Amino acid sequence: MLRKIALGVTMLVSQTVMAQEIVFNQKAALEQVYRKAVEAESLLPMNDLNVDFGYVLYQSEITTQSESEDLELENVRDYAAVYVDGKLQGRVSDNNKKIAIKTNPGKYLLQIYVENIGRITYGPEITDNSKGLFGEVTLDGNEVENWKMIPLNIKKYPVKDLKFENRSEAEIPGFYKAKFDLNTVKNNYLDISGWGMGEVWVNQKYVGSYWEEEKQRSILITSENLLQGENEIVVFELKNNQQKTMKLSQIPVFK
Amino acid sequence: MNLYKNLKHLLLMLFLVQAYALKAQTVSFDLSGKWKFQTDVMDFRRGSLSPRYNHVLQEEIQLPGITDDKQIGYKVPYQYIDRLTRKYEYMGPAWYQRDIEIPAAWKGKKIFMYFERTHWLSSIYVDTKEVSSIDYISVPHNHDLTNFVKPGKTHRITVCVDNRFQYKTHKWNHAHTEFTQINWNGILGEMKLMAIDPVYVEDVQVYPNIANNSIKVRLQVNNETKKQFKGNALFTINGKNYNLKNEVAVVSKDSVTFVEANIPLGKNVKLWDEFNPNVYQISVQLNTSDGKTNYQHEKATTFGLREVKQGKNHVMLNNRPIHLRGNVENAVFPKTGYAPVDDASWERIMLLMKDYGMNHLRFHSWCPPKAAFRMADKHGIYFEVEMPMWGKDAEPDEDRYNFFRREMRAILKEYGNHPSFVLYCNGNEITGNFDFIEELTSDAIKLDPRHLFSGSTARTRVKSDQYYVSQQTNKGPVKVYEGLPNTDWDRSTESDVDVPVISHESGQRCVYPNFEEIKKYSNSPVEARNFEVFRDMLQKNGMLDQANDFFKASGALTVLEYKAVIEALLRSSKSAGFQLLSINDFPGQGYAPVGILDPFWDSKGLVTPEKFREFCAPTVALLRYEKSSFFNTETFTGKAEVYNFSDAAIKNAKLKWWLTDESGKVLQKGNLKSQNIANDNVSPVGEFSIPLKGISIAQKLTVHLSVNDQIKNSWDIWVYPSHQNLMQSTDQVLYTSVYDDAAKKQLAQGKAVVLYPDPTDVKGRKSMFHNHFWNPIMFAWAPMTIGNLVHNEQPMFKDFTTSYHTDWQWWDILNNAKVIEMQNTPAQLRPFIQVIDSYDNNQKLGIGFEAKVNGGKLLVLAVDTKTDMDKRPATQQLLYSIDNYVKSDKFSPQVQLEENFIQSFLNK
Repeated sequence: MLRKIALGVTMLVSQTVMAQEIVFNQKAALEQVYRKAVEAESLLPMNDLNVDFGYVLYQSEITTQSESEDLELENVRDYAAVYVDGKLQGRVSDNNKKIAIKTNPGKYLLQIYVENIGRITYGPEITDNSKGLFGEVTLDGNEVENWKMIPLNIKKYPVKDLKFENRSEAEIPGFYKAKFDLNTVKNNYLDISGWGMGEVWVNQKYVGSYWEEEKQRSILITSENLLQGENEIVVFELKNNQQKTMKLSQIPVFK
Repeated sequence: MNLYKNLKHLLLMLFLVQAYALKAQTVSFDLSGKWKFQTDVMDFRRGSLSPRYNHVLQEEIQLPGITDDKQIGYKVPYQYIDRLTRKYEYMGPAWYQRDIEIPAAWKGKKIFMYFERTHWLSSIYVDTKEVSSIDYISVPHNHDLTNFVKPGKTHRITVCVDNRFQYKTHKWNHAHTEFTQINWNGILGEMKLMAIDPVYVEDVQVYPNIANNSIKVRLQVNNETKKQFKGNALFTINGKNYNLKNEVAVVSKDSVTFVEANIPLGKNVKLWDEFNPNVYQISVQLNTSDGKTNYQHEKATTFGLREVKQGKNHVMLNNRPIHLRGNVENAVFPKTGYAPVDDASWERIMLLMKDYGMNHLRFHSWCPPKAAFRMADKHGIYFEVEMPMWGKDAEPDEDRYNFFRREMRAILKEYGNHPSFVLYCNGNEITGNFDFIEELTSDAIKLDPRHLFSGSTARTRVKSDQYYVSQQTNKGPVKVYEGLPNTDWDRSTESDVDVPVISHESGQRCVYPNFEEIKKYSNSPVEARNFEVFRDMLQKNGMLDQANDFFKASGALTVLEYKAVIEALLRSSKSAGFQLLSINDFPGQGYAPVGILDPFWDSKGLVTPEKFREFCAPTVALLRYEKSSFFNTETFTGKAEVYNFSDAAIKNAKLKWWLTDESGKVLQKGNLKSQNIANDNVSPVGEFSIPLKGISIAQKLTVHLSVNDQIKNSWDIWVYPSHQNLMQSTDQVLYTSVYDDAAKKQLAQGKAVVLYPDPTDVKGRKSMFHNHFWNPIMFAWAPMTIGNLVHNEQPMFKDFTTSYHTDWQWWDILNNAKVIEMQNTPAQLRPFIQVIDSYDNNQKLGIGFEAKVNGGKLLVLAVDTKTDMDKRPATQQLLYSIDNYVKSDKFSPQVQLEENFIQSFLNK
């Protein structure tokens, strides 16, 4: 047992020594990648918004009467982050569709960012392949109506056209940018530990996606996507928007 | 080697000796033949008085076999829609019995009862007592009866086989599904009673070392004498023009002893791979003595001298990258209802793989019997095998976990020596606790260095993964479900992660069922009653005469999709390979006729193996180009590549290209620079351009590419003149996008109307080039159509070159169209562009049709004719052909149609 602990300490030290830290200090507002919004009284699944996979922002105005009210969603396919007036309330998925909204009584903007990660391919639910949000959303038992549904062009929007600003403390999802220097160009693994769910571009080339539920915690960035000297990295993050840094590792990272 | 650090083993000197002949002491007799039999649907016999009173069972059955062979069970009155219908269902314990005299000469020996394959719990009663129970599903059951039978005595042996689900595993697992093989009850393959001397070889594992042409043989020697034994193990290794004998001394007093011997095989031994499947037999004769009694036991196994390693992007075999061109095998065996256990049946499948240019089979959520491995060893096919594990099977359940822990170890032990056993994965698309998946995977890696291991297909990665089969990596999609009319793309970037990536379940394009297959099931335990339902529906809807046309047209589309899919995956130089789902039909999950072979692995006649090998083989000529339809003012540019994963580089390759017309006449030709083409890679070999300005008439042309006149491939392109001022109304022909008063008046005057509504104004489904993915019953999403039947012999197509099936020139037409629901039109009315409906719906559908309406002549085309027309040469040409037609005297629709139908399919 002692030996294991000693080994653990050594590994920790060596990792710290080896890992290069990347600091994200710029952010681009998500509005830049909004696609044409659809407005409807009730929720429309992504299928009806012609979104086969990817992200949609569902938003509506809510009025709270008390300091904590339950927001309940009938269907969440597959993952969503819930914000009220730009403050993260929590995450929901089809296994966990209830969340407490904590506000002073009043009117607020409810924003639910939903990712659809693909279709169900087996099991009894197979005939129901609606994605996104559908059915009812209720707040304290009352249906939330009049939705604005905005497909987000995350994957295909040209990264070079995004307009970045210095980062504020805002929690709302967006694109984060960082620069890092490399002395030698070789394959690197980007360690995304601590981040929630998102997509990554290096030097304006898409390099991959990540999700905190996966055991895999790194994305391979091949040498052909890296430059000697300054490199630029852009991350779209849906959930854990308070993260400041990522690391480069020489080996794949698993939890 | 830390592999065996926990195990005791003896280090032994190797020395050559004269082998001395002894009579083999192992004896066995065959148990096949008649057995007494009883069903037990109430599952009451085990707890009843019958075993205690040793009652004789009252029926008879032939073994090996399954209950279905004797039509035992519930006679199914139903027509299952989502699968073939099993004629007689049986699920429960079934009892098999024989009185067996144990020879007196077997005194002092170990006595085993061996069943090659059962399904899936087998228990043995000796007289009145249950003595042994085994629940492996992937390996033989070998029951140790030594302590329960008396040599010289006749025992009543009763075997209970229980095919109920022994653990809460996913019912779709192909090891025990009703979807493909059925969840049968019975005993298959070799079944025998064996007597073995009490010092015997329990296990032989052979670990090749290609660096020095040697093998390490690891024996597990069991000793039941409780005394010290001494002796030797004689190894005999045989292969083609190869014979070697070797020997080690053995001495031990333990009940279990591991003996390791390193045996140099010399320079005449040959490596095993797909091109040179050199298989060797090794037999071990163990001769021992405890001082008083001599013992002998012989055990044999096959092996191949080969090593498997994890490369950067590929699986490495003998330190060379291999590329897997594979098929997903789902235990599809409707002829027998179970996976065959004989060599001939499996040899046929391996030869089919070779015929279609493949080198790989993935056994999806099951592990095949020994014969499959034997034949794959012989013919050089690389296997991926799995446990019966799928979906939520990794959610916490300790019983189930322990079953998987045992099963994994049993698979490695039983089949690990086979050189064809290259990849092991726990199961398919697993969800649940991935710490458990990691445990299985890392344990397996420690147990057996002869394979590469992976946690799950197409789900969460685990740390120990040595390869990954998936639809996507964290860099994007790696599966290819459909082709495109352009070919300058691949899945290399997305495949380039920390382990080799294999494209999961690519293909899956649905063909309309061939109802002629119904009659093939007369002697099977299953029937295609779903086909009868579909056929009756088609008949009721007045189109039974078109069944074969639907089958042929959708089948042709699937073939051209598979060509495009496979070529895209071959262009992906950083992909480890692909697993097509599948070359043969999948008769469950809603029934997915996605194959070019039927469920019996018989050809559907859609493509020949020779043609298939042009785009799926160890060496394939590839071409990247930007589109399939051209104006004759444009130039075709092709970037040639050669995929070469054969047994050698191609020295001084002569590369030719040429362009032919439909009659085969060569219009243009040229050479690329002769060059050496590397092996184990995809190499760009040059570009060529063909100006198309000489092509004045719209036509299909074929671009050919060859390597040394041996390797050939070809691609169809379509060349069209451009047209201006299409769709001009005349006095006789009115073009209109709305069915308004002017149109009605024109018809009433006996004149012609071409109605081309904006597709958004047409009710019904979106039109799509691709035929439905997998099948429309399981995935009820767009398009719910299975390709199109083009009535190409009709005069509106006179100036538009087309086959009876849609091809890549139809891409921009079909993707800009709407499908009109036409079931409520007269039966004789057949749309000239007829969309093939999902076979569980079978409605008449069309994109273009003509009819007599109110005394006039009407042609309807639900195709967008406005958007980007300058980029749509094929649509222009179709409109041109239709224009010539409607303005000629050939335009004379025969079928009368009520006007209200026209309004019925329009939104306004």
